[in-house]
Amino acid sequence: MAGMEATVRAGWVVPLLLITAVAKAQQPVSIAIERRLAERLRVQVGDTLSIGVDAGATDRKAIVSAIYEPAPDPAAITKREYFLRLHLPDLAALLGSPDRVERFAVALKPGVSPAAAAERLNQIAFGFRASPSRDIATESSQTFRVVSRFHQAIAVISVVASGIFLLCMMLLKVEERRRDAAVMRFTGISRRTIFAALLLEAVLVSALGSVFGVALALGASLVTNLYYQRFFDTSLVFSVVTPSIVRFSVLLSLGLGLAAGAIAALRLVRTNPLILWGRG
Amino acid sequence: MRELLTAHGLTKDYPMNGETVHALRGVSLAIGAGEYVAIVGPSGCGKSTLLQLLGGIDTPSSGRVELDEIRLETLADRELTRLRLTRLGFVFQRFHLLPVLTAQENIELPMAEAGVRRAERRQRSMELLSYVGLADRAAHRATQLSGGEMQRVAIARALANRPAVILADEPTGELDVHTGQSILELFRRLVKDGTTLVVVTHDERLAAEAGRVIHMLDGQIQTPNAER
Amino acid sequence: MSGERGQTARIGDRALSSAFGPLTAYRLPLTAVRNLLRHRIRTALAIAGITVSTAMLLDMVLLAGGIERSFGRLLLGRGFQIRISPKGTLPFDTDATIPDATRVRRIVAADTAVVAVGPLLGTSLYLRMGDSLVTLFGYGVDPTAQANYQLESGQDLAPGDSSGVLLSRPVAERLGASAGDTVTLVSRLDPEAAVAGVERRLTVRGIVHWLYDYKGQPSVGALLPVMQDLARLRAADRVSALIVKVRRDKDADATAARLRTALPMLEVNSVAALVSRFRERLVYFRQLSYILGSISLIITVLLVSVLMTITVNERLGEIATLRAIGISRRSIVRDVMAEGTILTLVGGVLGVLLGAATARYLDRILTSFPGLPAAISFFVPESQSLALAGAVLLATGILAGVYPALVAARAAIAETLRAEAT
Repeated sequence: MAGMEATVRAGWVVPLLLITAVAKAQQPVSIAIERRLAERLRVQVGDTLSIGVDAGATDRKAIVSAIYEPAPDPAAITKREYFLRLHLPDLAALLGSPDRVERFAVALKPGVSPAAAAERLNQIAFGFRASPSRDIATESSQTFRVVSRFHQAIAVISVVASGIFLLCMMLLKVEERRRDAAVMRFTGISRRTIFAALLLEAVLVSALGSVFGVALALGASLVTNLYYQRFFDTSLVFSVVTPSIVRFSVLLSLGLGLAAGAIAALRLVRTNPLILWGRG
Repeated sequence: MRELLTAHGLTKDYPMNGETVHALRGVSLAIGAGEYVAIVGPSGCGKSTLLQLLGGIDTPSSGRVELDEIRLETLADRELTRLRLTRLGFVFQRFHLLPVLTAQENIELPMAEAGVRRAERRQRSMELLSYVGLADRAAHRATQLSGGEMQRVAIARALANRPAVILADEPTGELDVHTGQSILELFRRLVKDGTTLVVVTHDERLAAEAGRVIHMLDGQIQTPNAER
Repeated sequence: MSGERGQTARIGDRALSSAFGPLTAYRLPLTAVRNLLRHRIRTALAIAGITVSTAMLLDMVLLAGGIERSFGRLLLGRGFQIRISPKGTLPFDTDATIPDATRVRRIVAADTAVVAVGPLLGTSLYLRMGDSLVTLFGYGVDPTAQANYQLESGQDLAPGDSSGVLLSRPVAERLGASAGDTVTLVSRLDPEAAVAGVERRLTVRGIVHWLYDYKGQPSVGALLPVMQDLARLRAADRVSALIVKVRRDKDADATAARLRTALPMLEVNSVAALVSRFRERLVYFRQLSYILGSISLIITVLLVSVLMTITVNERLGEIATLRAIGISRRSIVRDVMAEGTILTLVGGVLGVLLGAATARYLDRILTSFPGLPAAISFFVPESQSLALAGAVLLATGILAGVYPALVAARAAIAETLRAEAT
């Protein structure tokens, strides 16, 4: 491990720590490192590392007392950072800030409203601010809401494109059989029957398309998750196809298919059969 | 009379519904320059097939066709196409004009393909429209013309590149009696002007006008040289 | 004359050509346009479909490298081509700092390619506003070597001006402050004693636009030593990053390599390297843009080829007639492909207009990422990529018509005419 370095981010305190193989004689602290870091450094429980705040000043001995799998954090995966944990007093001493922390997590007694508690704390606050955890979660998930909105916008564009494409295909499909429709009209088949037949075809095509589409979506979702989980070395789930998404998609595609088929069929049955035949 | 278009031992077989149809069974004939020949016979006797082989639109299963001593089966597709463009003219039963083009543009089409300059094309197409009596319909789209008018435009198109032979397949088949008569009169003029004409027809009037009538039955010629 | 295969035909052809002039293709666009107008609704729908696909393709091309281009332009905007940050980090990625900044600065400035070195410190602090405290972001700068701000009004900090401060517009508007006013910056708050450990009264010199701030970010800037004092980092002479300007842009990578050797305990990156590392973080957008862009092309191909196939099938009789009267296969193929090309061209042009509008809309969504510098854009045009995308789209549209065109041209004439007669 000589010369190997890794940067890690403390769980509670922000500054940077560095680990090198240079060790000095000091009371070792106990640390827990995340699995990816352990793999990268090829260390196991019981191994000794040296940590420090600046590169070139990693002189504090640390014994690996545990290797853990951190909860996957979507906000952190692209940064490719590594984490380790220390007891708070050890970290504070290392940083030279014995009594400073970034934040507290406060558990309330049952029945106490977080918002009310936060408000009371803020009335006496100086140099800190109390917020209910839910508000923090909302605030910190802004990034993903932006991504969601982006995906939704792309989805809308895709649906519009698909709708146009579908209508075009339905029109072409129906027009291709205009002479058949003309013959049917000549032989006395009613407009309603022809319309219903074409509509039924449209529904069947849409239904089949929906089934294939859902299968394709499930497959694509699986591939997406496999790929990105491997790429980022995480257990985060990137794509989820929920029953409500399936329901919405199927209804939308059936609706679009039906509408496109109806428009195409209506055009056909309203046209004079002689014109359909090519004689009008 | 110089032999312009000859056929030697033509046969044509093609598959249909798993069986082989013998459309032609050894047909030979010769058509002289300036002749008006009518080919008659019941439906399915092979008249249209014969016409298509004479025009190089189809290839025979055996036998050969010669136009001005050029053997059609020796030509590559490109040369055959060129031959059809410059030496032959076709008139079809269903006119087959391009509906998106005007009468004049339909006539100019083969000339443009042959490389005729625009001014020349314009002039000749108007001449041909006058010839067929439709000078006032030059700017009308094909879809705006009556059946008879369309067929006359089709005839003018066939004449565009001054072909050696005009081949017409049931030219009055889609027309009423009165309109058919106008086509007949046009054919009279063509013959009088020395155009070589081969017409497949059910129309007795067209057959009656022909200098020679070839009767076909069951893929064979019955009376090859019935002169008038 | 037998045996002179094709001779007579060729003589006739030459005679015709010499009599009537060379080949022209006058009718090509005319027929193609008119054929498209024959079925207006389906043509309009096909164009609409190609328009939306083109818009999507354009947006994905803009997105593919947009943010990197935007980021690169921002970094190079003031001509500093190298950034130095704490080991293993990107500038301002964490709260880590570089110790002994003056010594580091001397080492960097000693390189013959280096023209200027600017230190930069970022820290959180507060501003007194009546009885309350306003949270701010503070920049410690050297005004003679900075790439972080542009003066909007007032004056810049002078070297040695340890009582001056620069405000961002949001701060100035919130305080109603302008050049000449006094503000009090505090830090190191003691919650128990309810006092600030450090306090400085400073005079506003000017209002500046901080180039890396997100929209509405409340920021202030002062000389580096002043800000180090506020952050209690002066003793250790700590900074967040150093910016380096080299004499020639092409020397940036080589200079960065030398500085990396001279400063092994620090992270040294040229702007190109920074953009590359930034790209890794945004790999998702690049991949998404490739996938969606490909899907757009596929839709264009499908639309054009299906439309042309059906159109050709409807006109087989017409095409057989053209072949019968001597129109060549090449002309037929050209005519059919012309229709596909026109569809693609018209749809493409409209798609560019639509794509520009949707790109603006999508950019508004993505640039609302919290903490993203306001100067960054995700959809940035680059002429080479756009030209390539346009060429690919056009080629796709043209090629999509090849199969139906070939089907049309190769149809057996007699067989087709027979089928049409029934």
